[in-house]
Amino acid sequence: MTPTLFGRWQTRIFLLATIGLLVTWGFASGIFGTERGNVYYWVLLYYAVIGLAWDILYNYLQKFMWDHDWPGAFQLLAGIAEGILLAILAAVGVLPNVSDHFDLLMFTIHYASIWVAVYLASWVVMRLLFPRWRFRGGEWVGKWRRTS
Amino acid sequence: MQLQLTWDDPVTEEPQQRVSPLPIAFGRELEQLPREIDGQQVHQIVLLDTNSEVSRYHALIFEVAGEVILEDRSTNGTTLNEERLIRGRRPLTTGDTIRIGTYNITIALMQTEDVGTTRLTGGGSTSTVVFSPQTNILPADEILDETPAPSASSSNTIINFNPETDNLESQPVISTPTAPPQPSRRVFPPADVFAAERVSINALHATGYPVEEIDYTAIGGGMGSFVWVDTIRICGVKPDQIRVLTLRPGRPYERYEALLRNCQIPRYKRIRSGSDSCPDNVWGWPGYALREAWRETFSGRIPSAISHLWEVFSEPAFADTYTPIADNVFNSMDREAARIGWDRMVRYGSVRAIRKTEDGRYVIAYSATKPPAAGSAQPPAASDYRFLVAKYIHLSTGYPAIKLLNDLQDYRQSTGDTRKVVHGYEPHDHVYEYLEKNGGTIVIRGFGIVGSQIMDRVYKARMANAKISVIHLSRSPKAGNKFGVAKRYVENHWEFQPFNWPKGTWGGDMRSMLEAADPLRRRELLEAWGGTTTASRGSWRQTVKQGLKEGWYTLKFGQVDKVELNEQGKPVTYVKSRGYQGIEKIEADFVVDCTGLVSDPRENPLLKDLIEHHNLDLNPQMRFHVENDFEIKKMRNDKGRMYAAGVITLGGPYAPVDTFLGLQYAAHRSAEALAGARAPKIGHLEGIGSIWQWLKWAANMSP
Repeated sequence: MTPTLFGRWQTRIFLLATIGLLVTWGFASGIFGTERGNVYYWVLLYYAVIGLAWDILYNYLQKFMWDHDWPGAFQLLAGIAEGILLAILAAVGVLPNVSDHFDLLMFTIHYASIWVAVYLASWVVMRLLFPRWRFRGGEWVGKWRRTS
Repeated sequence: MQLQLTWDDPVTEEPQQRVSPLPIAFGRELEQLPREIDGQQVHQIVLLDTNSEVSRYHALIFEVAGEVILEDRSTNGTTLNEERLIRGRRPLTTGDTIRIGTYNITIALMQTEDVGTTRLTGGGSTSTVVFSPQTNILPADEILDETPAPSASSSNTIINFNPETDNLESQPVISTPTAPPQPSRRVFPPADVFAAERVSINALHATGYPVEEIDYTAIGGGMGSFVWVDTIRICGVKPDQIRVLTLRPGRPYERYEALLRNCQIPRYKRIRSGSDSCPDNVWGWPGYALREAWRETFSGRIPSAISHLWEVFSEPAFADTYTPIADNVFNSMDREAARIGWDRMVRYGSVRAIRKTEDGRYVIAYSATKPPAAGSAQPPAASDYRFLVAKYIHLSTGYPAIKLLNDLQDYRQSTGDTRKVVHGYEPHDHVYEYLEKNGGTIVIRGFGIVGSQIMDRVYKARMANAKISVIHLSRSPKAGNKFGVAKRYVENHWEFQPFNWPKGTWGGDMRSMLEAADPLRRRELLEAWGGTTTASRGSWRQTVKQGLKEGWYTLKFGQVDKVELNEQGKPVTYVKSRGYQGIEKIEADFVVDCTGLVSDPRENPLLKDLIEHHNLDLNPQMRFHVENDFEIKKMRNDKGRMYAAGVITLGGPYAPVDTFLGLQYAAHRSAEALAGARAPKIGHLEGIGSIWQWLKWAANMSP
């Protein structure tokens, strides 16, 4: 993929607010056999908000690639890094509403589920819903620049 | 003393040459370059630069006591051959290569009879700017016609596509005094009717030729038209609203496949294209890698399936880039063609001219007379001329013509030999058949993807006959382009990039950067991203390494002076190379031009007429100037609109115009613009409607 910074932000927000929310609802409502609770929604929120800052870093690193692209493998590595940071922040107690009852195993399962769902959706759902998405570096809203 | 400077245009890859008296100043800003030194007029060369490597006043070349001296005055230095020179002086000789920024300039000293005197007294030379890159968009009648027409005095034609059959024809040009155009081209369209700025519909009917009307017309029936028609069909337009005029009404990929075959890519081989560049699927999902892996899984080839998925997951960082097999692409296009009713829309037509009409549409004059099949004894059919009146036109005629390097073109013109010196895009299987049987030497010119394919073919030929050697000839060694903090990878002078432009130009930050830029900046960006590259494939790189090690593959650098036929009937290349005093001769059995040069649109009679009659704007690459949505603005006629796509738009708001995905991008943009302009039955493709259309695609139902 060859995202722009706005594209990364737009795609992250859209996918976490749809697919991510759906998966999180599954955890929070207990239908995946988990203990019910709002903590999952908070994790999702932190994942999204901190991710916006991560995207700035990725956008910077991407310029070191000749093709200015971001291979799927990098997305996986970035996902792991984001997960580790979230877990550390939660464990050291700086994430309100998450740190109080933080369970590393549940966090890992929840986070990994969101990541996989969002990753697959970015390859499939975004393309089918918004054919212009891939031509605009992941931006699905907004207009084309006016002519020449 | 004069200096001949040679470099390659970084966008079109064409060799450029200028001869200039000394002294010569190089730099980024014209105003900073001296106009006079010691009373001598300075000749100025402006170089574009996006990496801030070229100083405003970068270097000077001057003459002292019969010696030509290069003086670097820059912050970042000048590379002379392989030596980096910062704020120093070095003498220059013929064959030296100077690198400033991304420019690789080869120089040759030229003695003039009367050194020194003519230059100063040569008053009246108003401009001393030797080379200032053209960065403006200009109407055709204001363009100083430097390159296309006069470059090769008698004829720079090239290898043409026949305007009736679309077959490649090389002109065995023994300067026949300009063959008169076929008489049939004169009588139609009627000159008096088509001379008008806007043609009246009544006047068309009065000519007595059949007049048909349609909403949408695609001119050209190749990849560009197919992708555009596919897009507007999916956006809601019906087959009976669309007409495609083409010389090859059979399959949309016919010409493309013929060119692939000529440059030694048969159907079963992989082409340089991405997994999700799918001319049969506007969404790009599922891509070719997934489809291939799917089929492999069900035929028990699991490891191969996994390797393809691994490629798309980790390319280009940890694996070679996945590329689809030509046959898979063509088969998928056959399926899509049947689904959208391609055959119902396509007609044979050799388009002669396009004009605006008085009622806000366009008229297309074409000949529907099919030429008799090659070798058939049938007399040519009676002339069948027609007019088609359309409201929206899409122009995608592909390569106007194919160009040989000048020295090779000169060779062909003087010898008439088109068998020993060939272009990689021409049919040239006889080269390998000969080499497999008799062995011999082949000279390859150009380091692009065609060069790689030909190397691959030669490697195969060497299995049959080990007495084959390859000399790879290039003007200068490769350094690898730079852009910002990134650098393109070079190995053994082959420069690698997965596709013909950096990936970010299709839809990433590079696309939006280019679109937002002014003409000067666009030119700078295209120069930084352009240049000849090939795909990094493990087996190809291995072949090169093995060839170098075993000695049957040699790299040579130097500027070609001329190519001549010797007494043994072999083409000899004369190279001015550094380290040899004078000229080195390279004798070979064959010379293959793999530079992949494509000519200017004005080489094609239809496009030439269109440009000249409507005084259309041309971009700095002398291609059609198009808006960001690919409209040719000067062709707008009330509600009528005309769009262009493909290689004829190179050098504008979008870099990879000549690729599957680039054509889809162009189609997407023009379809959105048409939907915005409320063209009949066309809508925006997004949301649930888009998913519905995808489901129809998946189920192979008509859109």
